[in-house]
Amino acid sequence: MIAVIAVSVVTIGTLGLGTWAVRFARTTSDLFVASRAITPWWNAAAVSGEYLSAASFLGIAGLVMKLGTDALWLSVGFTAGYLTLLLFVAAPLRRFGSFTISDFVEARLGSPRMRLLAATIVLGIAGFYLVPQLKGAGITLNDVTGAPYWVGVVVVGAIVAVNVGLGGMRGITYVQAVQFWIKTFAIAMPACLLLIYLGGLPQRDTLFGQGIPRAPASGLTVTLDSPHGVTFPRAESYTIAGEQRVAAAGEHVELPAGKLVLPPGAAVPLGAGGESGPGERWSKPVGHDGRDGPLFVYSLLIATVLGTMGLPHILVRFYTNPDGPAARRTTVRVLGLLGVFYLFPLFYGFMGRALAPGLYVTGETDSVVLRLPHLAWPGTPGNLLSALTAAGAFAAFLSTASGLLVSIAGTLSYDIWGRVRGGHWTTRRRRLLFRLSAVAGIIVPVLLALAADNLDIGVLVGWAFAIAASSFCPMFLLGIWWRGLTARGAAVGMIAGAGVASAGIFAGLITGDQAGAVGALLSQPAVVSVPVAFISMIAVSLLDAPDPVLAEPAMLALHAPEGLGLEQLASAPPHLAVPPPLDAPAPAGMPAAAAVDRQTG
Amino acid sequence: MTPGAGGRRTPRDELADATAHGGLYLRRLVRAQLTLSLLALVAFAGILGSLPLLLFLSPGLQDVDVAGVPLPIVLVAVPLFPLFVALGWLYQRRADALDEEFRDLVER
Repeated sequence: MIAVIAVSVVTIGTLGLGTWAVRFARTTSDLFVASRAITPWWNAAAVSGEYLSAASFLGIAGLVMKLGTDALWLSVGFTAGYLTLLLFVAAPLRRFGSFTISDFVEARLGSPRMRLLAATIVLGIAGFYLVPQLKGAGITLNDVTGAPYWVGVVVVGAIVAVNVGLGGMRGITYVQAVQFWIKTFAIAMPACLLLIYLGGLPQRDTLFGQGIPRAPASGLTVTLDSPHGVTFPRAESYTIAGEQRVAAAGEHVELPAGKLVLPPGAAVPLGAGGESGPGERWSKPVGHDGRDGPLFVYSLLIATVLGTMGLPHILVRFYTNPDGPAARRTTVRVLGLLGVFYLFPLFYGFMGRALAPGLYVTGETDSVVLRLPHLAWPGTPGNLLSALTAAGAFAAFLSTASGLLVSIAGTLSYDIWGRVRGGHWTTRRRRLLFRLSAVAGIIVPVLLALAADNLDIGVLVGWAFAIAASSFCPMFLLGIWWRGLTARGAAVGMIAGAGVASAGIFAGLITGDQAGAVGALLSQPAVVSVPVAFISMIAVSLLDAPDPVLAEPAMLALHAPEGLGLEQLASAPPHLAVPPPLDAPAPAGMPAAAAVDRQTG
Repeated sequence: MTPGAGGRRTPRDELADATAHGGLYLRRLVRAQLTLSLLALVAFAGILGSLPLLLFLSPGLQDVDVAGVPLPIVLVAVPLFPLFVALGWLYQRRADALDEEFRDLVER
């Protein structure tokens, strides 16, 4: 009940604040953006707020608990992505003044057809990223109210679509910055209080993986809603639906629905996919082969380290930096803020192994952040803390899902429909089209989320990163630093990279878990697809003759420091100039404040 | 580059005319910035990239405890984050300084 109230407060609060802030920003744009009053700290908190999604808030902890310490690399990679963004993209992109990927592609490469290609890949990445947010919504609502999984997915999908369609929460800097602190508080506070309550880390041998998860001294009762296959790591006697049974060590048992009761100290049976068995494999950040071997770890690191710069909802956020140096300062601060946040999901993953072993039976490890407080601390305090983490989780996927849907709707209405139909659009028609796109853009992710209730949130997000790293990352790196990149080269490279990455992911989905190197590559294809994208992009560009009329002004705009009066020289030739969208709905996720700022110059 | 009636031509004029000289200044800046970024990337990738290999090749680390936590877990979860901030901060200072040098050159 407390949790329902907490979640409702966060939902209404964020939506209300977002809508109010958009109005406020429209009327006082000088104060907010044009006067450049936003400091790097505010910007950094806003970037982090938009970035911390269900994957960070729920997914990492769930994967740590389920697969073991190899999931620690996710939090490392999610943060390290901002270092590559800082080194190669942040300042030049701010100077260039394109904040949607499609804008950059068209302005740098001078090909409207490239815009369509970029828009298609943006839709793919944002859609892939949206699915785990909706999954997070489904399991959180299920946890809080007991409603079936699909209700949460559909309800939250509808809320986000209506919200984005009505123009609420368009990535206003201050709202997103506050969101960051809400999320950090909601995950850090329960963790710290739990640690004090427990008087340190309990059951260290189980916690860090050497021991297997066992039922607590009072025994363990798990309610199974449907028949469920589990594997017993040790020979145990147990009671299912009132019937006494015995399982041999390593035996796979199909349990009927009902109450499963395990005696005190019994080794907990594992649902599908859990690898917590012997503990040895769980506790090693780098395993021998397959899904936690070195190949997989490197592939995951490549995907996350290079993929961050290809996330459409993040790049938009860099607009509110006044200039290149400010964009650099903002990114350095993001590294610090994320580093603090990512300590906490790990805590929940480890503690869950010792204190919430029932989740192994049902396979619901993704909800460990929500369940841990009230399982570890019975009574009102635990319930209050669980309500707090549920509210934080809601904040996480509401903000990220809204940002993603703004990108999707902007891309659909402006880049795709607007280009296909051409001609001039009245403001009213544009707005209507944007709303229709917001509704259309949520349908496919909702359907995918309904089908994906067995896939881990962290894994799904890893795929979005893999596609971004194999398409937009090489395009940005080469487009910003190499005059020789041509439109055809970029097109071939992006298609090849995104194609190889998606093919790997879908092959992995169809064939299921594979052992060895093949399994590692199918579950995270970036180590292959990223080099494919780079090599094909460079090779095709070298075969083409680069266009100096296009490349030289672009280089000037990307790299010349501000305040020298060189910006005017940098404008692209007239036939390539991208008409600035003047009215909301802005294209491809441009925040309303930014659109206003463009008007004021 | 002809000294005309308007007095001495500044490098800024040259850039504005997109002469060979202006192009050269900009090329030099881009190259300096890229070198800096690549150096930082080598340091970053060297440290981050060697950690999985180190953990893979020395399984004995698993038995070393730091405050009750196995060393490999500590190595992945803690020191990388402050290291990223430090590297980013160093890079940001140097990159800003390069921009500043270019500005001095052009406005001379």
